[in-house]
Amino acid sequence: MSEKFGVKVEDIFNTMEERFRPEGAEGVDASFGYDISGRGRWKLTVKDGSMKIEQTDDLGGCAAVIQADADTFVGVNIGKVDGTAAFTSGKLSVDGDVGAFGTTAKLFKRFTPPKKELTVGEYVLDMFGTLEARFQTGAAEGLDITIGYDIGGEEGGQWTARIKDGKCTVTEELVPSPSLTMIMKAKDWVELMLGKVDAVNLLTTGRAKVEGDMNLATKLGELFAKYTAPGEEEEEEQELLVLKKIISVNQKFATGPVMGKYLNGLKEKKILANKCRECGRMQVPPREVCALCRIRCDEFVEVGPKGNVRLLDTAYYASPDPLTGETRETPYGLIYILLDGCSGQEVFAHFLRDDQLDRIEMGWNEKKGTIVRPVWAEERTGKVADIKYFEIDE
Amino acid sequence: MKEGFDTTDCFLVDGKLALPYTYFAGRVGSKFLTTIRDEKKIMGIKCNKCNKVFVPPRQTCDVCMEDIRDNWVDVQNTGKVTNFTVVRYDDKHLPKKAPYVLAMIQLDGADTPLVHVVEGIDLDKAKIGMKVQAVFAKETTNTILDIDHFAPA
Amino acid sequence: MAHRKKNRNVGVIGVGQTKHSSHREDVNQAEMIHEAVREALDDAGLKMDDIDCLVHGNMELFEMIHQPDLWHALGTGAYGKNTFRLTTGGTTGATLFCAGDNLVASGMYDVTMVIGFEKLQEGHTTGGITNMADPLWTRSIQTGALTGTCAYDLIQEFGEERANQVAMMYRIIMDQHAGLNPKAHRAFGLEWDQMDHLIKTSARLVGELKIIDMCSQSDGACAVIMATEEKAKELSDNPVWIRDHITVHREESFTMLGYDQATVPPLTHKVAAEALFKRNGISKPADYFDVFEMYDPSSWWGVDWLRAFFLLEGDEHLKLVEEKEIAIGGKIPVNPSGGVIASNPIGATALVRPAEACLQVRGDAGPHQIPTPVNHALASGFGGTMWTVLIMLEKELGW
Repeated sequence: MSEKFGVKVEDIFNTMEERFRPEGAEGVDASFGYDISGRGRWKLTVKDGSMKIEQTDDLGGCAAVIQADADTFVGVNIGKVDGTAAFTSGKLSVDGDVGAFGTTAKLFKRFTPPKKELTVGEYVLDMFGTLEARFQTGAAEGLDITIGYDIGGEEGGQWTARIKDGKCTVTEELVPSPSLTMIMKAKDWVELMLGKVDAVNLLTTGRAKVEGDMNLATKLGELFAKYTAPGEEEEEEQELLVLKKIISVNQKFATGPVMGKYLNGLKEKKILANKCRECGRMQVPPREVCALCRIRCDEFVEVGPKGNVRLLDTAYYASPDPLTGETRETPYGLIYILLDGCSGQEVFAHFLRDDQLDRIEMGWNEKKGTIVRPVWAEERTGKVADIKYFEIDE
Repeated sequence: MKEGFDTTDCFLVDGKLALPYTYFAGRVGSKFLTTIRDEKKIMGIKCNKCNKVFVPPRQTCDVCMEDIRDNWVDVQNTGKVTNFTVVRYDDKHLPKKAPYVLAMIQLDGADTPLVHVVEGIDLDKAKIGMKVQAVFAKETTNTILDIDHFAPA
Repeated sequence: MAHRKKNRNVGVIGVGQTKHSSHREDVNQAEMIHEAVREALDDAGLKMDDIDCLVHGNMELFEMIHQPDLWHALGTGAYGKNTFRLTTGGTTGATLFCAGDNLVASGMYDVTMVIGFEKLQEGHTTGGITNMADPLWTRSIQTGALTGTCAYDLIQEFGEERANQVAMMYRIIMDQHAGLNPKAHRAFGLEWDQMDHLIKTSARLVGELKIIDMCSQSDGACAVIMATEEKAKELSDNPVWIRDHITVHREESFTMLGYDQATVPPLTHKVAAEALFKRNGISKPADYFDVFEMYDPSSWWGVDWLRAFFLLEGDEHLKLVEEKEIAIGGKIPVNPSGGVIASNPIGATALVRPAEACLQVRGDAGPHQIPTPVNHALASGFGGTMWTVLIMLEKELGW
């Protein structure tokens, strides 16, 4: 049981079959483990649009295992805890392929806890427990009053709401001579608050009594927002419209003579840098000017094609390709290379062959990093992909 | 770049920008649109300071800087054209096939005009001051096109 | 560098912010902006009629919208006013602040309001950033705003264990600050005993940059009102004076990762700090300033940049973190607001920095107010491929 949300961990797992969405499982062929601290382990297997869930300690062969405490796990599943925030803050962690685990979000409809009818006593406690929160500051300007609630019966009690300086404080007692006192049985109070019976009816039948300032009694509706039972808030919410679109614009870019020369060089498997005649700096790809010296750079030099790796930045999270909107497979390696003929900070950035991520040594000062060479595309049209990637020169 | 420079290496590269976005109408905008959708009714918001009724509604009167979000009022489904133009080109972002009349329509009970399409008249018959009436869409898109167009009243 | 003393003094007389959050389905862009505008006007005790000029800004392409200043007039109050629009990437908010200062100092306008916003939930942040690079080459190979290079640098220089510990300490201090700021977007309630666990288990984004290290994506807006000395004294009991600011730009920075210390490229933060402090006669910034609101996009950068901004040597910046001198109550509190890691509506983010610094100077920051008097405050902006805006604020005139 997650005490915080009143839902059992088992309920989440036991309802998985009925919440399963075969359309969300398309193309998924994997097992996922759930390790809920102190509550046990479960294994979910998804294949060919169907699923199986079992409670087992053997989580071998799972693509990813999620670890969380009961409150976090239940909270995420019933939509009360933000999954991203739980993941970021480490309250929920994933061992294994995080990307694969992401696919589980589409597998199930959200768990909705069965509606539980509250007892009269529970209602009364919740109604007074939420009274301060429902107070409407704006309607209370200039008021300095006390409202007494004398709620009879075994499930009743006595409360006082003190309203002063635009604030409302509720205490569990009945203070002497409040500005207004409302007297009725717990059952009637609950029905009144839930809108099942109106106040005039209660007063005329003698089931409720009001002592003190009657004018104040008519203002109560403005002083406090309407009570909503727990779990009913969502249905009361206004429908908020959202428009989802993809902007899609065709573009054309002019290379100009400098970038054009460089891109044309790639077609012939040549990597061209240009050199600043003032400071001697090489830029690759070449730029029209040296921004430091503010002069045009028109001396082109062929560099590379081999070089040593200065830095490997391994990306586990990829941005979408603006041309296609598609996201690269991760992890992938972005490398900064000092091509032969370049020195200092004159690095060239490109991709590393996927299966060589863990074999790269990075250079530092005099020390050279792993030597790499370009792998050229068969068909070259003057673009980044004319070099497929760099690979270790061996 | 000097005139007459060497353009041997210059060429054009095709590009594209394709990115998703999401737009939230907010409480005021959502109520305006869902009321059109569900009740076939057009609502505005009134500024109690300058007494203007805004259609489409807005949360703030931008002249008085008053918060007016709760001052909903009903306006009529009829109104008059205060200005118009004829759209004579086709493009994928346009709501109708050209040519069509795009008009500013001040609904009865409103003080500001709503931009919308007028159909059901010859293009050369459209004129300022003509009376029009909202024709609601059969299928919802949750946009202002839940009013499909305005027709002569 | 050409720099002239201001034509006239300028004071901040009003500050407004939304509560920053991950989603604002309940308001459209103009309505969200209006919350900040309204708060700034109320804070200054002014009406829109009192404002001579507006400057509006955010990131291009982040909501996939164009010229939003046009339809945002419903929320900004721009109707019939002099209005400018600015967009300079991550620094947008700080540039807005500097532009407002320049517009008033120049004598063109007496009272100016600057407004920055972002509704990141509505667009695609990394997608937007990708489109800022040169479309013929760099666009295809860069990784959005994410890079592990700073973590790599710190690990190379100070060793894996110490670098990781310091970065995570910085992260937890920021989270604790955010917990005190009711306007902060993310406050997880991180505890010190989670440090090792987070270092080991938090998911990697790029290199050693982990998801817990990185800034949030937020919806929010910020507005700041500035006035001439004469007007500020007339309209406000507690104006905060804008002493000086500097912007240092650079070329696209992919040419700074050669790892050759004989040719270390200059970090714009350091260039900015050196020039700004020199012309203001400040030799020990960490002693001079009482608070620093830094644009810290990740905990690694936050740690690393302390050295650049405070002109520190060796591992002095690490010690500031290790000894918790950057926490509220420490010698030089950094980001009492929780900083950018907690709240990052990007077009507003760099404006929130001087705005929060002003609240600290006034003593009006609320639960995250630092306990000792704040007379001198520093605020920074960061953007693009490593460029800097640095702003100095003072409680009293007569520096």
